[in-house]
Amino acid sequence: MSISRTNIWRGLACAVLLLVVSASLAANWLAPAGYAKQYREAADASPSRQHWLGTDEIGRDRFARVLYGTRISLLLAPAAALLSTLMAALIGGLAGYLGGGWARCAMAVTDLFLSLPWLFLLITVRAVMPLNVSPMVSVLVTFLMLGLLGWTSAARVLCSTAGSLRDSDFVRQAKASGIPGTRLFWIHVLPNLKPVLYAQFWISIPAFILSEANLGILGLGVAEPMPSWGSLLKELEGLVSVGEEPWKFVPLILLVVVVTSFQLVLSKQDEVAA
Amino acid sequence: MDPNNTDTATAITTTTAGEAPAGDLLLSAHLWLSYGKKPPVLRDLDLDIRRGEVLGLVGQSGSGKSTLAMAILGLLDRRQAHIEGTVGFDGSDLLRVSEPDLRALRGRKLALVLQSPLSSLNPALKIRTQLKEAWRAHASGSKADCAAAIGAALQSVSLPPSDEFLRKYPSQMSVGQAQRVLIAMAVMHRPSLLIADEATSALDVITQSEILALFRELNRSFGMAILYISHDLASVAGICDRIAILHEGQIVEAGTTEQVLTRPCHQYTQRLMAAMPKLLQPQRLAKAASV
Amino acid sequence: MTDLQGRLAVMETTCRKILLGIACLGILAGSALAQGELRFCLRSEPKTFDPLQVEDESSGAIRYLTGGVLVRLNRQTQALEPELAQSWKVSKDGKQITFKLRSGLSFSDGTAFSAEDVAYTVKQLMDPALHSPTGDTFRSGPGNVETNIISATQISITFPAPVAGLDRQFDQVAILSAHSAKKEMAVLGPFMVSDYKPGSTVLLKRNPNYWKTDAQGRKLPYLDSIKLDIQPNRDVEMLRFKRGEIDLINTLDSEYFDKLAATSPQLVHDAGPSLDSEQMWFNEVARAPLPAYKKTWFRSANFRRAISAAINRDDLARVVFRGHAQAAVGPVSPANKFWFNARLKPETHSSDAALKALQGEGFRLENGTLKDVGGNAVVFSIITNSGNKYRERMATMIQEDLQKIGIQVNVVTLDFPSLIERMTQTFDYEAVLLGLTNVGLDPSEQMNVWLSSSENHQWNPSEKTPETAWEAEIDRLMRAQASSADAKKRKESFDRVQEIAVEQAPFIYLVNRNALSAVAATVQGATPVILVPQTYWDADRLTIEQQGATAAK
Ligand SMILES: Nc1ncnc2c1ncn2[C@@H]1O[C@H](COP(=O)(O)OP(=O)(O)OP(=O)(O)O)[C@@H](O)[C@H]1O
Ligand SMILES: [Mg+2]
Repeated sequence: MSISRTNIWRGLACAVLLLVVSASLAANWLAPAGYAKQYREAADASPSRQHWLGTDEIGRDRFARVLYGTRISLLLAPAAALLSTLMAALIGGLAGYLGGGWARCAMAVTDLFLSLPWLFLLITVRAVMPLNVSPMVSVLVTFLMLGLLGWTSAARVLCSTAGSLRDSDFVRQAKASGIPGTRLFWIHVLPNLKPVLYAQFWISIPAFILSEANLGILGLGVAEPMPSWGSLLKELEGLVSVGEEPWKFVPLILLVVVVTSFQLVLSKQDEVAA
Repeated sequence: MDPNNTDTATAITTTTAGEAPAGDLLLSAHLWLSYGKKPPVLRDLDLDIRRGEVLGLVGQSGSGKSTLAMAILGLLDRRQAHIEGTVGFDGSDLLRVSEPDLRALRGRKLALVLQSPLSSLNPALKIRTQLKEAWRAHASGSKADCAAAIGAALQSVSLPPSDEFLRKYPSQMSVGQAQRVLIAMAVMHRPSLLIADEATSALDVITQSEILALFRELNRSFGMAILYISHDLASVAGICDRIAILHEGQIVEAGTTEQVLTRPCHQYTQRLMAAMPKLLQPQRLAKAASV
Repeated sequence: MTDLQGRLAVMETTCRKILLGIACLGILAGSALAQGELRFCLRSEPKTFDPLQVEDESSGAIRYLTGGVLVRLNRQTQALEPELAQSWKVSKDGKQITFKLRSGLSFSDGTAFSAEDVAYTVKQLMDPALHSPTGDTFRSGPGNVETNIISATQISITFPAPVAGLDRQFDQVAILSAHSAKKEMAVLGPFMVSDYKPGSTVLLKRNPNYWKTDAQGRKLPYLDSIKLDIQPNRDVEMLRFKRGEIDLINTLDSEYFDKLAATSPQLVHDAGPSLDSEQMWFNEVARAPLPAYKKTWFRSANFRRAISAAINRDDLARVVFRGHAQAAVGPVSPANKFWFNARLKPETHSSDAALKALQGEGFRLENGTLKDVGGNAVVFSIITNSGNKYRERMATMIQEDLQKIGIQVNVVTLDFPSLIERMTQTFDYEAVLLGLTNVGLDPSEQMNVWLSSSENHQWNPSEKTPETAWEAEIDRLMRAQASSADAKKRKESFDRVQEIAVEQAPFIYLVNRNALSAVAATVQGATPVILVPQTYWDADRLTIEQQGATAAK
């Protein structure tokens, strides 16, 4: 019984992802006018046949923006999440595995990172970045920053997990088989950090999408006119009630649905594998 | 043993036996060991292992048997365990050998099977991967070479070298199977010394005797010396050529199985003997050992 | 108003919200009985109660409600009216002003008012040690200010150099008592501070000694008290207004305005274009860290004019401000009745004309990209302060407008300090989009924006000597208008400044936002205007309808 139900959910999630991904890839055909065209005569319009999800404050087709924004966020948020997860694994995992002074040193660095005034740092980054960067570059830089900064809390968990793995029987046994240290880490330690890494990865995606929106305040986010889920979510800021303009919630719903679907698809695979 | 494998096994026996006649000193340890600031676990311990022999190391729980095994292979974290003395092996002192050199010995010349079979296998990896890694540690070659080596190792411990079995994760195996996998991993490179830490304690009687038979077979066919660690004198008696008794950090008695079982000198050994079930009378055990 | 930087700091809170809650009993009965409390919000903590030290908006609001001034600029007619002074006269050379004061008036604490108090106030105002920001506008040249008490009701004040618009400046000078023990807490205005809870409220009570009466001879003000809540959050302010907890919102932004208008159109007021403008400018600083070819573009008036022509201002007003703004004409808002140069007309938007003008300068369109003579693609960034969605939207619309003539604009939002640093320290920017909040009407208040030597001459600050002929001409005209007491001559000069500013387009004026406010139905007599304080400029004549209070009790 559980198998069939699991499969139904998985199938559904797969279908949703497939639909979302293909729609975002087909944005050029589905929304040929593009995400930047301003229909100034129809600003802030309700959904209509021309604009399925209405238009934004300056008359840009929301449907087009959602499609293109999905393309960007769906590609870059997971990429940044992957980057931060890898960094957490390497820094936290390796330090924990090496133990002793290494672990203490890595944790000190992590603490330092956690205590840094990020806002200030990001402002500095913006200050040294040239102003004339194309929107695409701004997107890449933004997510790169997120990836490079988002690893700290996971690194703490990984460090202690890796520390206990180092003392585990199977690592000792593998060491007794003559497997060299680095290989030991990659083959025996890392795979056992998987649950923590998965969690970090999945938590990071929505977190990064939202942080990207907030970074816009520092001039670091995705630059106009390019859309992203973050900038689309920013529209919800001033909204007073859900009932008023429900179509504005589409980006939020999409975010939730996509993240949930990903989780369903991947966690099930994992279970089967284990 | 698998009858199909007899040919190879015999062939190896001849060569190994030729190279390493039983009787020379293989390993000689003289150790003090303490964890942190606590009283020493091993004090002035003397242990000799000869080529091709099966030596039983008996001591009660907590006496430091596992500690000794790991100290020999240099697996203890030297930041925690303070070790002094020497471990002579193949002309070098293992305590002073560099880590890369030590790594080159582990698994190739010196093999260890840890105490608890299930937790000694990586839960996240398939059996094939773990065996492959053990092979890769000291050999290079094509995938086919690797597969062949794995197959041979599995057969030598009477496990099916089937794809289905190799795809399993440790959680999908019985304790006995896991123990055999560990032994297969350990003997893959035909080490000259295999240290088996409580290799049979977790098993039922039938499986226990199968594993014991396996050890004996490995000892005979590969000529590999075995340090067989146990807290149970009875199981040791079955396969060991010699027995050493570890008590309060020292080897208090060492000698041939017959000697130790029939004429124990040390008080502690006598107490051990007294604690043995009636069914296994010393004389009968001695007889069994001489078979 | 000329201090641009000061403006910028205030900019975030361009909307001032003030709620007056007045409960007035028996208006119909015609009795002199005044009752009721007007309630509204201050956006920030008032920094001072000393009228001469006022710099921030909240302190300014308190000064307006409590301070008695010699003359008052009527916020509706924009004409100067007698207040404590019955009449006044400015000398021909613009250096001296003589006031004839009303007699028999007294401060809120009962101390009598006389010319001595005016002399004392002027002394305090001009005392270099006291650094009065209000006094700065009177400091026209080196030398001492002399006061001459002719009689108890007559005083003349002589400045070392002519002060432009001298009489109007006294609108900001609340008269202090020379003798009262209560110091600046003794006031001549309609209300006086009676209680102050930092971080929470300022309570103003009616001044029993206030001298004004209405046409029926009733003593003003009608209100008993004004309760000012300190509330920086505009959402909260709006919510409290909707709940009827406050009575006024002095300035609303267009989004809130439309939301409120949708449910209760009778509560919102659009007083038309205000003095505030939104504008954009290019970096013309010679030593700016920009490539030489970009500096050439930015320093070319034709380039700037072309950009100006390519921007669709009507769309900005209509889309971004939902129609609550008007395409800007030049440096002076048409709302400034006297000083606006009526000969100037709003720029007609035309991409074609813009492109033609650029082609005349050697630019050419290649595959949809505009290139300059040297073959460099025309790309620049516009920076604006983050968090201001109106500016972000304007920038994005300008981005699309300029796209049409092959120019790629990158919109960058920066936090305020970084923006200011780039604008005033490093000059590492290409174009800025910001707003200017104008409080005063007189051109002398814009002096430090227009003088080429000024730090606030934003497109090219602190020039040693004017770098262009037109900047030299503006310098001359501004000085000329400042040193003249003849309003007509001053207007001529300043009209010319406006014309040059439009021709040369150092600032590209975009829109003038409308003055939007909200007034509760219970408040009677409110006529919101475009000048600060928009809703309560006539607070002494406001009343509050009783029904709410009666129902509650
Ligand atoms: N990492 C360690 N740190 C501190 N003390 C330890 C550590 N490992 C073992 N000990 C102590 O050393 C002593 C010997 O332990 P060891 O595991 O070698 O005993 P053992 O003979 O193998 O026992 P068993 O038969 O139960 O396996 C015990 O008292 C144990 O508490
Ligand atoms: Mg043990």
